[in-house]
Amino acid sequence: MRVILMLIKKEFLQVMRNPLLRSILIIAPLVQFLLFPFTADYEIKHVNIAFIDHDRSSTTQAIIQEYLSSPYFIGHGILASNDQAQEMMLHDKIDFVIEFPVDFEKNLMNRQKTGLAITANAINSVKAGIGTAYVQEVIANYMDELASAMPPEQNRQAQIFASNVFWFNEQMNYKNLIVPGILVILVTLIGAYVTALNIVREKELGTIEQINVTPIKRWQFIVGKMIPFLILGMMEFIVGLILMKLVFGITVQGSVSLLLGITAIYLLAMLGLGFFISSVSENQLQAMFIVFFLFIVFVLLSGLFTPTEGMPDWAIKLNYLNPLSFYMDVIKSIVLKGGTLQDVKTQIIALSCMAVIIDTAAILSYQESSK
Amino acid sequence: MHELTKKFGDFIAVDHITFQVKKGEIFGFLGANGAGKTTAMKMMCGLLRPSSGIATIAGYDLKTQSKQIKKRIGYMSQKFSLYNDLSVTENMQLYGTIYGVKPAALQVRIRESLKDLGMEKYADKLVGAIPLGWKQKLAFATALLHKPDIVFLDEPTSGVDPIVRREFWDRIYKTASTGVTIFVTTHYMDEAEYCERICIMSNGKVMMIGTPTQIKTDIGVDSIEAVFSKFVKR
Ligand SMILES: Nc1ncnc2c1ncn2[C@@H]1O[C@H](COP(=O)(O)OP(=O)(O)OP(=O)(O)O)[C@@H](O)[C@H]1O
Ligand SMILES: [Mg+2]
Repeated sequence: MRVILMLIKKEFLQVMRNPLLRSILIIAPLVQFLLFPFTADYEIKHVNIAFIDHDRSSTTQAIIQEYLSSPYFIGHGILASNDQAQEMMLHDKIDFVIEFPVDFEKNLMNRQKTGLAITANAINSVKAGIGTAYVQEVIANYMDELASAMPPEQNRQAQIFASNVFWFNEQMNYKNLIVPGILVILVTLIGAYVTALNIVREKELGTIEQINVTPIKRWQFIVGKMIPFLILGMMEFIVGLILMKLVFGITVQGSVSLLLGITAIYLLAMLGLGFFISSVSENQLQAMFIVFFLFIVFVLLSGLFTPTEGMPDWAIKLNYLNPLSFYMDVIKSIVLKGGTLQDVKTQIIALSCMAVIIDTAAILSYQESSK
Repeated sequence: MHELTKKFGDFIAVDHITFQVKKGEIFGFLGANGAGKTTAMKMMCGLLRPSSGIATIAGYDLKTQSKQIKKRIGYMSQKFSLYNDLSVTENMQLYGTIYGVKPAALQVRIRESLKDLGMEKYADKLVGAIPLGWKQKLAFATALLHKPDIVFLDEPTSGVDPIVRREFWDRIYKTASTGVTIFVTTHYMDEAEYCERICIMSNGKVMMIGTPTQIKTDIGVDSIEAVFSKFVKR
């Protein structure tokens, strides 16, 4: 026990004295939370949009005006036909076409079901995804205005319509797309990347050799490394949650302690991965390469930034082996939807199994490499 | 030590070496760069697994009782390998604790050995910031904190000035006089003369073993340097 405590103390002293690591730990969450939203903003600033108006009513005119006055959209006029729209999309001139059906205004006023068709150019899937959210938000805003302008009696009906649109919008909101992603990346990087680099650095410096000639037990060494980085990872996560509140105004909907518990399990798996990578790599560059390779595979598979719909079946099945994907589900569920233990039971089981397997592999590989 | 061998792939770094070292002896390992001194030493410390051969260290079998051996030996690597970003005291506390020295005893030992080394002024300095000669002395003192039976010193004085080298050897003698076996490698011929017995290695093989005087008379030359160049030239 004294040995473990001493190792933890050593690790914390070193982290505190390592300017590079210190700045990674402090700056990483800040940069991610402050920069990501801007890159997302940039993506959706120049959405090219065109309209097909079969109704030609004052309502459709007003909605079109709404779009043109938004800073996010660049209008490309009212088109005559679908063919023309197809043509323009093919040449990448426009990203979205909004088609108003005949009697759009009439149906809306009579509180009948009405709809409009939104066609997105899905070549740039990020733009299509986030753009769709914006296209819908404009409509939702318009409905809101419309509702407040109506007499109270009709108001109720109109509001239901609007809130329906809002609900859909919320699913597509870029904040809700990006924020859980940032949390996942943060925890993954601290867990796998920082741990792997730390141990490989000890290998490079030869300090690990000095430790290996001592009668230290393997589990002591491993636990002595894991506990400090587990604590650091949890601290980073909590900082992430605070920044999420400050920057995006998002608070955890579900139980925070459940969230922290699952994060600890996920971190244990990632620490093990870092350990494993450190024992198969000779130097920091190799370790960095392996971490980023795995990281990119995990992120792509998880559908975090790219939609999974277009992926082949085997790739989707592969996701059952992707810890990041399960953890992502947990974050989305607990943070955004207020998910309970019951909701994330499968993910907890999956993550726990992965943690056990990865950590066992890490311990075994360390045994091998220390000979 | 019997027929100890280490192969890296096809390359034989240490080729069937056999010798014995007495308790409390200062035993020197001499050889050119790449002769296999470090590799041989690492095998004895349990850092590398021998490809073949057997060895008994501090009365324990190298293959089956490495845990017990590790408790009884100290090791000072050729490449300085204490933590540069920990202070002198923190390094000693870390290693003392890992070796299972009780806190109270450890505190006394650290204080005494710093005083002995004249290093009190550096006690709270980061190791990375102190001069090389002091680092080497610190590494030696740290390897002795748990009072081992044998210490392995791999080129402890390479790169340090003559005065510190002199001091270092005084310290080696002092330590040996308390019954600790010293196993040391060196490139310096004058240091070879300080050893009670030396072993000359070349290309992974043991060429000669004996007291410096014995070896000189056997070969018929008057300095270890001449002995050395004779073997290395081959
Ligand atoms: N891990 C390894 N893999 C392959 N070859 C190695 C390895 N370690 C050492 N060698 C080779 O084994 C030989 C002996 O190396 P060793 O370090 O034991 O020599 P040395 O006598 O300590 O030399 P020096 O005086 O330079 O310290 C060298 O040729 C070296 O290149
Ligand atoms: Mg060497």
